[in-house]
Amino acid sequence: MLFADFYREMRFLSKQRYIVLFLSAVFALSAFAVWSGLHETKLQQATIERLLEKDTVDRENVLAGHGDYGSAAYYSFHVTYSEPSSLAFAAMGQRDTFPWKHRIRMLALEGQIYETDAENPELSLFGRFDFAFIVSVLLPIFVILLLHDLRSGEKEAGRYDLLVATAKKQHKLWLSRALVITTGLALAMLVPLLVGAAIMQAPLAKTAAMVLITLAHLLFWVVVTVIAGRMMLARGQNSPRIASALLGVWLLATVIVPVVSDTLINQSITGPNGGEVVLTQREAVNGAWDQPYEVTWDEFLKTHPEWADYTDMASSFDWKWYYGFQQAGDQHAAELSKAYRDTIVRKDVAAGKASLMSPAMLTQRLMLSLASTDISASLAYEQDVRDFHASLRQFYYPLLFKGGEFELEQLADMPLYRQRLSN
Amino acid sequence: MSIIKSVMFDEWRYWRRTKVATTVILIGIALALASVIVNSIEVRQASAERTELQRISEQTFFDQPDRHPHRMVHYGHYVFRTPSPLSIIEPGVDAFTGTAMFLEGHQQNTAMFSEQRQSSGLTRFSSLSPAFMLQVLVPLMLILVGYSCVTREREAGTLHVMITQGVKVRDILAGKFFSLAGSGMLMLAPLAIASLWAGAHGESLAITASFVLGYVVYILVWSAIVLWGSTISSRSNASFAILIALWVVLCILVPRIASTTAATLEPSPGKLESDFSVVEELRALGDGHNASDPAYEKLKQDLLNQYGVDDVADLPMNFRGVVLTYSEKKLTDVLNKYAEARMDEELSQAEIARQFGWLSPMVSMRTFSMMIAGTNLENHHRFLREAEELRFDFVQALNHAHEHDLDYHTDINRYVNDDTAKAARVDASHWQVLSSFDFAPESAQFRLSHSLRYVLQLLLWAALMLALIKRASRGVM
Repeated sequence: MLFADFYREMRFLSKQRYIVLFLSAVFALSAFAVWSGLHETKLQQATIERLLEKDTVDRENVLAGHGDYGSAAYYSFHVTYSEPSSLAFAAMGQRDTFPWKHRIRMLALEGQIYETDAENPELSLFGRFDFAFIVSVLLPIFVILLLHDLRSGEKEAGRYDLLVATAKKQHKLWLSRALVITTGLALAMLVPLLVGAAIMQAPLAKTAAMVLITLAHLLFWVVVTVIAGRMMLARGQNSPRIASALLGVWLLATVIVPVVSDTLINQSITGPNGGEVVLTQREAVNGAWDQPYEVTWDEFLKTHPEWADYTDMASSFDWKWYYGFQQAGDQHAAELSKAYRDTIVRKDVAAGKASLMSPAMLTQRLMLSLASTDISASLAYEQDVRDFHASLRQFYYPLLFKGGEFELEQLADMPLYRQRLSN
Repeated sequence: MSIIKSVMFDEWRYWRRTKVATTVILIGIALALASVIVNSIEVRQASAERTELQRISEQTFFDQPDRHPHRMVHYGHYVFRTPSPLSIIEPGVDAFTGTAMFLEGHQQNTAMFSEQRQSSGLTRFSSLSPAFMLQVLVPLMLILVGYSCVTREREAGTLHVMITQGVKVRDILAGKFFSLAGSGMLMLAPLAIASLWAGAHGESLAITASFVLGYVVYILVWSAIVLWGSTISSRSNASFAILIALWVVLCILVPRIASTTAATLEPSPGKLESDFSVVEELRALGDGHNASDPAYEKLKQDLLNQYGVDDVADLPMNFRGVVLTYSEKKLTDVLNKYAEARMDEELSQAEIARQFGWLSPMVSMRTFSMMIAGTNLENHHRFLREAEELRFDFVQALNHAHEHDLDYHTDINRYVNDDTAKAARVDASHWQVLSSFDFAPESAQFRLSHSLRYVLQLLLWAALMLALIKRASRGVM
């Protein structure tokens, strides 16, 4: 029976030019967002591929040109990267402000890791038009525009009483009409997403979760809009008044709550300034030149006691000492650096809590997390880079400390950066 | 004139009676005021913090002990970008660009620690900046206040009465327009006051005046859009739907589509990738640390000939310093070539996005506002260039000391033992070569002359709306 209602309403609404036009526009926007997201993903993948290729050639050139392990390590760089996930096309998230590519070498890491090869800041400021943006920010406005006058529109057109009188069951009429519009809206947004997911061969579970989040946010706003429409109509408000009130709710969820939470979070959660971390690291690394060698060795041996018997130096410069104070420099800054990262994590956790008050923010955060483009994904990438840097040190220390003759073949086992496969 | 005035006052009286409009306007003023206050405090804090870090950074450089001059080249220096006075209203790209930069010999680093990277990540769509409030939210407020300004009279039949009584359509529309614009000006007031404040903190009068004037025009344009939407619609429902749809398109969709289009049409490979080409070119130039690199053979021969000696050790200056000075210059030329190319790329991306100002007054307003406030891409590039200039100057000054104040023999024997290492140092007074860094945005003249196109975009919108309203006024009856 409901199906018949649904079918009737569908036929009725498909003749409404306004509705059809609106849904087509939503479809076009979603298609554009998905297409540009796919394009961006392809670009990033291609960039990573080119970087890796150039990186290998470059390192081989460098290694062939040096006669000792110390300079080999000093002059050879390593590209690290974070591949866009298969759903990143739908939610590019923080990938424009947090770097996803980095080149490091065996010097003190704290002096290198904050370098940022970010995107054009003016474009970041405007923000990307991706699927997550459509769902989190625009979807409520679509619902408000389409459904705020579900009842009041008919009343103002003078058909309300007639409709109510002729419908067998009143609520069925409104329900099926709302259902048809909601279904149309969902399809207009989701079909491009599903096509994109198929092209990227995204995992089924994550794609399904993305669809569910979209539907949940959609449902939330449909319910809010329909209920508000009914209640306000009963109090004699007209359609624009109803929509204005709903836009007020949207404003609260999309602008006021995030902005106020952000301000509160920034004021209440503070940590070391990034500048302090790098300044500390620099003083520690450069100070080593002016201090007795023991100072460096004491600090170094705290974490690497296995080299305690290998600290004798033939001249006043030895690469092992040089890398020793690079390590010691990182150790000096370690606490600050950890505090700096912890601050970001704490802000992110607080933002997670704040987003419970704003459906728009919650939707966005869930989508970014599914697409691995959120802050924790960026921090995980940073940790990957740190781990890789540590493995480079593990690889070079025996070569530097044992002081054997330089052999190029020894470098064949050098660790390579490979992204931890999380998606 | 008196008719226009009475239409205007009537409209205001209506707003007061219905309360909805008054509420909206009060919320608008409160938001604008709150954003101005909070943003001013935050910018002041950041400014004080960075000025202090800059001072500490300079002081620690000066305080370094006697050292080998090249050690100071690698010790390097930090510069911090202080915000421009008007960024209390228009922070522009500041939150997305790094605020600190490490300067050292032989390489150009990127700007680190953008605010956005240290934020909660909640403000990617909205921000508390007065600019966002004015550019995006005030138009929405104007719509909520004024969508029915004409349709209401039409629905109630009062429009017909007025016209038959001989009131000119033009006067009615003008009255409605001024009532709308007036409410917009109320929401603009906090911004105007903050601009005065920025003026007191070192911004030129021409800049602050044109900044406020730009926003006045923008609000007039939106008041006109609202009036037009209400004039062409027969019913309030329709005018509301049309205006909200317009707002979504002009203030939310077009800006994002602009940036996405720019990034798609003109992808920028980024610094990391061009670094490979830089390294390739640099390898041909030779390594400045190694004075016996074959790349410096010609330099060596020229010097030997010039001074009539057979060995670099007999030259009147330190040959290693000569090589460092020479290679730093060559290397910087290469680095700058690529840095300029990258900035050009970014600028042409931004140019594509800015063209969308012809399609949306919000885009033209934002571009204009950032240009005038000195918080746009060009100013970020200016920061990068000034930092680079400072880097090159202090590195070369240290190399000069290396060349003339450090004996060649002492220099090459520095690693023999601790005594030779001590001998191979120069006096700490040489560190005074570092000049202080005080970042200021582009000159007022530059900013004004470069914003002409966006003024034109805004004026075109004003003209378009005037024409549209004129056309619509003919069909009022």
